[in-house]
Amino acid sequence: MIDRFRSVFRAIHPKFYRQKHKHLDHYFTFTNYRKIWAIGIFGLGAAALLPLLVITMIHYQLIQTSVDSELILRTERVASNARRAVTFFLEERLNALSFTVNEIGYEQLTNSDHLAEILRNLKLGFGGLTDLSVIAHTGIQVAYAGPFKLEGKNYSGQIWFAECQKHNLYVSEIFRGYRDLPHIIIAVKSFRPDGTFFILRATLETQRLIQTLSAYQTGEHADIFLTNHTGIMQTVSKHYGGIFEKMTLPVPNFSSRTQAVMTTDAQGHSIIMGYAYIYTQVADTPFILMVIKQKAGMMRVWQELRSNINWFVGFSMVVIAIVIIITCTFMVNKLYLADKSKAETMALMEQANQLASIGQLAAGVAHEINNPLALINETAGYVRDLFVIKEQYQKDEELLENIDSILEAVERCGRITRQLLGFARKFDVKIQKVNLSEVISDVLIFHGKEAEYRNIKVHVDVPENMPEIETDRGKLQQILLNLVNNAFQAMADGCRLNIDVASSGPDQISIAISDNGCGMPEENLSKIFDPFFTTKERGQGTGLGLTITYSLIKKLYGSLTVESKEGLGTVFIINLPISIQEKIIAHENSFGG
Amino acid sequence: MKILLVDDEKKFAMMLAKRLALRGIDVDYVFTGEQALAKAENNKYDVAILDVKMPGIGGIELKRKLSRLSPETKIVFLTGHGSEIDFETGSAEAAYYLTKPFQLEKLIEILNEVVE
Repeated sequence: MIDRFRSVFRAIHPKFYRQKHKHLDHYFTFTNYRKIWAIGIFGLGAAALLPLLVITMIHYQLIQTSVDSELILRTERVASNARRAVTFFLEERLNALSFTVNEIGYEQLTNSDHLAEILRNLKLGFGGLTDLSVIAHTGIQVAYAGPFKLEGKNYSGQIWFAECQKHNLYVSEIFRGYRDLPHIIIAVKSFRPDGTFFILRATLETQRLIQTLSAYQTGEHADIFLTNHTGIMQTVSKHYGGIFEKMTLPVPNFSSRTQAVMTTDAQGHSIIMGYAYIYTQVADTPFILMVIKQKAGMMRVWQELRSNINWFVGFSMVVIAIVIIITCTFMVNKLYLADKSKAETMALMEQANQLASIGQLAAGVAHEINNPLALINETAGYVRDLFVIKEQYQKDEELLENIDSILEAVERCGRITRQLLGFARKFDVKIQKVNLSEVISDVLIFHGKEAEYRNIKVHVDVPENMPEIETDRGKLQQILLNLVNNAFQAMADGCRLNIDVASSGPDQISIAISDNGCGMPEENLSKIFDPFFTTKERGQGTGLGLTITYSLIKKLYGSLTVESKEGLGTVFIINLPISIQEKIIAHENSFGG
Repeated sequence: MKILLVDDEKKFAMMLAKRLALRGIDVDYVFTGEQALAKAENNKYDVAILDVKMPGIGGIELKRKLSRLSPETKIVFLTGHGSEIDFETGSAEAAYYLTKPFQLEKLIEILNEVVE
């Protein structure tokens, strides 16, 4: 199974993924295609996906803010309406009580029948009243109409009696009292003709108030209830406590207006809390109206929409990522294949150039050998002439001298062929210690005669303390030969060629090859290392010499720079490491061995 | 037949001159273009045998100067590289040339042809 997976991966993985051609590395424009691929995917991904993500998040934020505002507004509106209803409920009954006490007077109110009549009428008019009683200034209940027998009870020690005495009007919390049923009392203070006060008190059923509140409870996620100023529940809530229990929410700060805020409840649920302190125009009340809405429930529609948007954005991102990966892979692979093809061509060209160099060299050597051969020929011919024509062959000094000439000429031929063989052998890739003076001399041997004929002065300056460098001798020789060839071609007769070797750093040397030849126009300088760029006539130059020279120098971990002024001359400066071995180790380490 | 031989390879020039002399040909030999011009000013030569590549005045330039000095002197070039003559002169004047090394008989044949 794993093997099958591997074979499928091998079939589809891009060619650049396993770059295996160390011998071509020097010709590649880029060295790490995996890195280019990764940077491409990351860059394109960031450019395409980040704006999408940012816009989506901004969109979410805007919608969230707008939904929150809408929810707060709606909660506030519900709380405001419910507050008006509760206020009206209490105000209406307080006013009715005030009207009764002012209109009827103490004497008639203490008449039990009359009081029962008034209770009946009030029940008919407003509803929700349980009983009605009159309490004298002593706190003794002097008259009572209602279902309980509470006449004669003394309320003088109770808080509500003191409060009503103080503020003339009173609305109680919901409490159980003597009858052990939740109820509210409202009371109104008035005065008798003798100046003493009395209080008309009514008991209200809580049922009517709860019904009034329930009308404003909209939806399953809404909760509406009353609490007092200390947080004791006055009506039942769905989530925040039963009647007379401590509310599980904090008591909101006082505000004369209806408020709505976003907060979290004890369970950590996000809620919108609308509240209003209830007070009537004639008296304060102990109630706070609470409207609580669970945010999660109210946001369900928006959350469904957001889920759809998330799916869409996620799907889009996956599609974009796939397209980017495919595009990057395709483009980098194309780039890699083009670069590889160029590298292979360059390698072939270098090979071709090496062969051409050897051919050129052989021709040069043949030319050089012809002169001593001609001498051998003439000398041998003369010896033969002596035998044939002059018949002088015994102990003849001239004869010996001529034979020496033959031997000397043969020795010259031998020297040249040795150099030729030595030169050919140096094409092998081999790192060795190289004496720069010797290499330069070897190269100049092939131009010695030409320099002599054309009256070109060649000056070589290698400092005496210049160390031997570790490099590939053959390649260095080819580099120098190519550059010296170029210089000779650029120079007119009588010009001067300088080869200066110097130390250009703690671990590198420079070889400057300068001539005072024709130089190059500036526009050509940037192209001279391009393959097939030549200024020579068609058929005279391949345009590969400098390209190959450049790649050979790269192969030796060096660099090549050129400066030229048209009409004044050209300087090529080669920088080479003193030890190529160290560079190879450093290069291999940088690629993880 | 009087011949002027010019070649910077001194031993070669001496040897060739001796061999031609053994065959009864009157040869003067010099090693540079300047010496050749000096000789030509004082002597009349039927043929000048010139090496193409020489330091100073080369064979091609020497031919031009000799032609001005002594138009009747015929020229035969010697070269180490056969194709140079065509390449560098590109004219019919340079039709007579020999590539080193050569057979003396061939040279004599050319000399006779030139003089005739």
